[in-house]
Amino acid sequence: MKRLDRQSFLGPDSEKTLQGLTIGIVGLGGGGAQYAQQAAHIGIGGYMLVDFDRIDLTNTNRLVGGTLLDVLRRRHKTAIAARTIRSLNPSARIVEIRKSWHDAVEALKRCDVILGAVDSFREREQLERFARRNLIPYIDVGMDVHETQDGHLVSGQVILSSPGHPCLRCYGLITDENLAGEARKYGAAGGRPQVVWPNAVLASSAIGMLMQTVTPWHRRSVAFAYLVYDGNKGTVMPSPRAAALANRPCPHHPADETGDPLFDIRGHLAVPSPTPRAWPRWLGWIAMLFGR
Amino acid sequence: MKIRFKITGDLLEAIRTDLMRPHAFAHERIGFISAGLSSAGKDLIALARAYRAVSDEDYLNDPSVGAMMGREAIRKALEWSLQAGHAMFHVHTHGGKGIPGFSSLDLRENRKFVPDFFKVSPRFPHGALVLSDTAACGQIWLGRTKDPVAIDDCTVVGASFKTWGRK
Repeated sequence: MKRLDRQSFLGPDSEKTLQGLTIGIVGLGGGGAQYAQQAAHIGIGGYMLVDFDRIDLTNTNRLVGGTLLDVLRRRHKTAIAARTIRSLNPSARIVEIRKSWHDAVEALKRCDVILGAVDSFREREQLERFARRNLIPYIDVGMDVHETQDGHLVSGQVILSSPGHPCLRCYGLITDENLAGEARKYGAAGGRPQVVWPNAVLASSAIGMLMQTVTPWHRRSVAFAYLVYDGNKGTVMPSPRAAALANRPCPHHPADETGDPLFDIRGHLAVPSPTPRAWPRWLGWIAMLFGR
Repeated sequence: MKIRFKITGDLLEAIRTDLMRPHAFAHERIGFISAGLSSAGKDLIALARAYRAVSDEDYLNDPSVGAMMGREAIRKALEWSLQAGHAMFHVHTHGGKGIPGFSSLDLRENRKFVPDFFKVSPRFPHGALVLSDTAACGQIWLGRTKDPVAIDDCTVVGASFKTWGRK
C-alpha cells in the first residue's frame, strides 16, 4: 500500500508529476497555511514558501498547523508550513524565504505555479504581473467580511490566472478605483476579519484548480477560472464574468511582455560562479594521509 | 546552468496546427518562435511570445530534405528579431509521440544560421526546437561563437501542464 494509492484516478504518472512540481506559496497565513497542508497531503514535492511574518496569537484562529507553543517561540510562518509539509513528505524540497516576495523573485521564477494569499489589491496585481511575465499560472484567493443590515456577509473568490487568458483586471477584481482606495481596510468588520472555514473552502477550491491543471482527471480542464464564494449561502459558484470573457485575449498582459526587459546574455554569462572555498591546509594533509 | 523553455499550451497548439499544413512541394513546414529571457540565479528561462510561419514562397524546392528555407525566410526572421528585440527559436515538427530529437541534418543546418541572430540581437540567446505530437526538445546558443547546448526542459503552461526533459 502506498500513501497516494487512493488518488490513483489522477493518472498513472500523477505521483511522479506531483513530486516533480514546484509551487510557490506567497503568504503563509490563514490561506497559505491551508495551501501548504493540502499540497503536502496530495504529494507535491517542491515548495517556495514566502512570508516575512511570524505567528502571533491572533493568527491561531485560522493558521492550520500553528500552535500556542509556536506563538510563544515566535516561529516564522514559513517554518510552521515547512514543518507541516515535512510531517507528510520528509523528502519535500522546501525553500523558506522569510522576506517580502519582492525579494524572492529569483526563487519564484523557478515555480511551476504560484499560489497567492496576499491581502492587498496592489500586492495581487504585482504578483500576477510577475507571474505573467514569467509564464507561471497564478492562483489568487481572497476573502472578505462585509457589514450588512442583517449582520455580516462572508464572501471571497478564487481565480486561476493563466498567461494569455483573462486576468484579475479582466475580471474586475483589480480596478484603478480599488487600487486608489487601498488605504481603506480590506473588509469592513474591523481589523482584517479572517476566519478558518472560508479560508479552507477557498484554499480547497484553489488546490482543486491546481490539480485540474497539473493532473487533469477529466477532459474539460480549464486554463482560467473565477469562482465566487458566498459564505452566508454556503455556495461556490463560477462567476458569470468568466463565461463572458471566454476566448477573449487579455489586453492587460500582452504576450510580448514575457521575460526580463533588461536581460542581456553577455551580462548573465559574465557573472562569475562563486569560487569554491579552499580547504584549510591542515585538512589537505589529513586527506593526503588517508590517500584521498 | 540549467536552461528551461516555457510556452503556453495555446501557442504550442497553434504552432503544431500550423506546422501540419501541407505545402506545395515541401514535406514539412517550419517557423520561428520569438521569446523573452529571464534569469533565475545562473539558470536561464526562455519564455515564448509569438510564432510566425515561414511563408509558402520562402521555401526552396529541395527534394532531398523535408523542408529548406530560402534566404528571404531567414532575412524576415532576422528582421523580426531586430525590430522586436526578441530571442528567436527555429521550430519544426517530426510528428509522432514521445520526446523527439534533432536529425544530423537539423543539427548541421541549425549551426549554419542560428548564430546569425546574434548579429541583430546580441542581448539574447537563440536556438531551435523540434516538436513531436506530444513533446518537444531544443538546443540553444549562448553566444555567436559558442557551441550550442541542450535545453534542459520544455514546459507547457495553461489548461494542461506538461514538462519534458531533465528537471
